[in-house]
Order: sequence, then structure tokens, then C-alpha cells
Amino acid sequence: MTGRVVWMHGDGLSVTDPALHAHPDAPAVFVFDRPFLRGTPVAFPRLAFMYQGVRDVAAHRPGLTEVRVGGVAEELAAFAARHAATELHVTRNFTPDFARIVDDLRAACPEVRVVIHEPERLTGYAGPLRRFFGFWKKVEREVLHGDAPARGHR
Amino acid sequence: MTGTPLPADLPDDRLPDVLGKALAGLYTGPARLPARPGGRTEALAALHAWTGAGYANRNFLHGNVSRLSMYLRHGMLGLREVAAHARSVMRGRERDEFLRQLAWAEFYRLVLRQEGARVLGNLEDPKYPARWTPDLPDDVRTGATGLPCVDAWLRHLMRDGWMHNHERLWFAAYLVHWRGVHWRAGYALFREHLLDGDIANNALSWQWVASTFSNKPYFMNRDNIDRYSSGRWCGTCTAECPFRAPYETLEGQLFGGRA
Ligand SMILES: Cc1cc2nc3c(=O)[nH]c(=O)nc-3n(C[C@H](O)[C@H](O)[C@H](O)COP(=O)(O)OP(=O)(O)OC[C@H]3O[C@@H](n4cnc5c(N)ncnc54)[C@H](O)[C@@H]3O)c2cc1C
Repeated sequence: MTGRVVWMHGDGLSVTDPALHAHPDAPAVFVFDRPFLRGTPVAFPRLAFMYQGVRDVAAHRPGLTEVRVGGVAEELAAFAARHAATELHVTRNFTPDFARIVDDLRAACPEVRVVIHEPERLTGYAGPLRRFFGFWKKVEREVLHGDAPARGHR
Repeated sequence: MTGTPLPADLPDDRLPDVLGKALAGLYTGPARLPARPGGRTEALAALHAWTGAGYANRNFLHGNVSRLSMYLRHGMLGLREVAAHARSVMRGRERDEFLRQLAWAEFYRLVLRQEGARVLGNLEDPKYPARWTPDLPDDVRTGATGLPCVDAWLRHLMRDGWMHNHERLWFAAYLVHWRGVHWRAGYALFREHLLDGDIANNALSWQWVASTFSNKPYFMNRDNIDRYSSGRWCGTCTAECPFRAPYETLEGQLFGGRA
């Protein structure tokens, strides 16, 4: 049997988050990032808003949902170990911190496979970007009518 | 094991106290609840309550905008489901205009994916000879600039954790162009207080105003503020108004006429 855990971060505080949705029974954890918050001013209501998001997730999934305060990669490694997990599932976000944390985690516990789920997107656009106007011309039909992505997007 | 566990079921009445203690030293300001509650359940209620009627007036401060940004920011709602809702309840130009705004959010996310940490520095040279200072002035930080409109925008930011898009644009232009402060200081102030504050929309919108991710700087004048605020401040304002001039005059003052 493969033990799985889910890492929930600030971009996916909902049971519909792809990683959470794929593994409703797996233990999930959200970490308030202590080193980040030490160095970056964030007003309390924002943190409370996120907490309310996690609380709502916890109330609506069968699996255990934990909240912790600490260094994210260390907390994830310890969480995976406590649950004897060999896989950690998470939904990608595009922030520079995400990639760094995943690298740190892979370095700290090579025995845990990090499985990255893709986030939901509004469009299928995959080309280069420069100005909104050019982007809009390419995605307009898709966004306005909910059509399948235009050909030649990729 | 260095971390601290927290219960995942704190009710709102205990939340500021317990979370405040657990996060002591890790946040600014008083420990209080957000102006709007977070969570998927609340987000869905807000989405379903929103019909989009009157969105044509979205540029006016009294216009009916969705205020869904904080839910989208934290994934409590997805752009796709909000778009599907809009397609089913809204009509005509209002609907198209709203869907276009969602596309801005998608655009900025994709720019972040493309550029990574580079979005936190100037993506392009500014389009005017800018000499920006790095630090946020104290009167801005405390919301006491003496300009009633600017102080009101700052109050909305700090009290509600949300500002109307036009207030964000005006404030950003004020800080960067009138006060000569680098957009990163404004970005950091927004990140501190906005419930929807993120990297992509926040940094790239600031860069759009500053002209480091657009072809010209965004700026406004008093007539524009008066019009879109429906006369909320200007009629009774006695402050020395830095915005009171025709666009051409301000353009010369702020950008040496070269913008
Ligand atoms: C300097 C500056 C900083 C900003 N920082 C942020 C930020 O940190 N986070 C954030 O979500 N938005 C940011 N915005 C964009 C915009 O102001 C807000 O998304 C919008 O005001 C949110 O209100 P709403 O949900 O009622 O918008 P609505 O008008 O109801 O629009 C619906 C949704 O479309 C998206 N959207 C609307 N306008 C924009 C826009 N101009 N750019 C990108 N997406 C948009 C948002 O997801 C929004 O929730 C910033 C704008 C400026 C000028």
C-alpha cells in the first residue's frame, strides 16, 4: 500500500483543489510559513481568512486535516514521516516559493515522491505572453463562450 | 520537530485569540477577523448571490463589482466556475466585460508562470525618466497624507482588506508618479493588507501603472476622481489638490511631457 499525504497551500484552500479532490481520505496539512512571515509583513485578517479556508476544508473532507506553524519543507517532511507516506500530493502554483519548497522537500526526503497536480485554468493558452491585448485576441472566443481552446494555441 | 500544531476547527469567536497567540510575532496589526469570512462555503454563497446586474458601471466606486477576488486568490473559487456562473446569469456587454476581467487574472497568472521571480523587479524600463525612492513614506503608511481621497483609499485597504480597482489605480499612480516611490513599496503595502493580495495580479498591476509592464504610465486627474467617485471627496475638499489640472499639464509635470 502507498501511504499518501496532501500538502495544501494558500492558492488551493478548497475541497475542489485538484490534489485534495484526488485524495479525499489522505491526511492533509496546511502550514503557516514561519520564516516567510517573520520576514514579510502580513496583517492578521489575511491569515485569519486563510485559516477559515482551511477550516472549511477540514469540515468537508473525510480525511484528517492538520494546521501547523513552522518551516514548510520541514513540516511536510515530518508530516509524511508521521503518516508513513511515500507520496506527497500537491497542486502546482506558479510562485517562486513553490518551486523552492518542492526542491527542499525532495532534497530532505528523497524517499517521498512528490506528485504535482495541475491547477485549473481558464484557458488552454500556452504561447508566449507580452501584452494583454494580444492574449485577449487569442482567448476571446474561448473565454466568452466557454468553447474549446482555439487550435494553434500550443 | 520544530513546528506547532493548531486545531483545525476554531470557531470565529475564538479565532483571533487562539490563532493570534499561535502566530505571535508573525503578523502586523491587531488580531481580528477579516471583513469578509474565508472558506469555500462562504465563497460559493457569495458567488451565487452575485447576479452581475449593474456591472456596466464597474468603473464607478458605487458600481456593482463582484468582490470575489479574495476567494479567487486563495482557490476558494476557480476562474472556470466563476466564468460559467457569469455566462449563465449575465447578459450582453456586461457579461463580456466581466469575463474579460477574469481573463486579466488568467493573463497575469500566466505571465508569472512565464517570468517567475522576475515579476518582482522591473520587467521593462520605465517609459519616462523616473527617479523612484525605495521606501514607503510614513504619512502613507499611517494613512495620514492630508488628502481626503488618498486617506480614504488607504482606510479601505487597511480596514477592509479590499479596494475598488479604480482606488487601486489612483493610489498606485499617486504613490509612484506623484510621490516618486518605487512600485515595489506599494506592492508590499498591498500584500500586507489585501485579502486578495498575490504576486501575479499585485506586482503586475503595479508595473502596469508604473509603465514597467505597459507602454505608458497610468495617471488620473481630479476630474477623473470626482467623476468615478460620484463627487465623494472633491466637492468638500479643502486640501491643496495635486491632481487638479488638465491631463496635458500633469503629463508635463510628472513625466516631462514624454509619456
Ligand atoms: C495596483 C493594483 C494592484 C492590484 N492587486 C491585486 C491583487 O493583489 N489581487 C487581485 O486579485 N487583484 C489585484 N488587482 C486587480 C483588481 O483591482 C482586483 O482584482 C479587483 O478590484 C477585485 O475586485 P472584484 O473581485 O470586485 O473585481 P470584479 O470587477 O468583480 O472582477 C472579477 C474578477 O476578475 C479579476 N479582475 C478584475 N479586474 C482585474 C484586473 N484589473 N487585473 C486582474 N484581475 C482582475 C479578479 O479576479 C476579480 O475578482 C490590482 C489592481 C491594481 C491597479
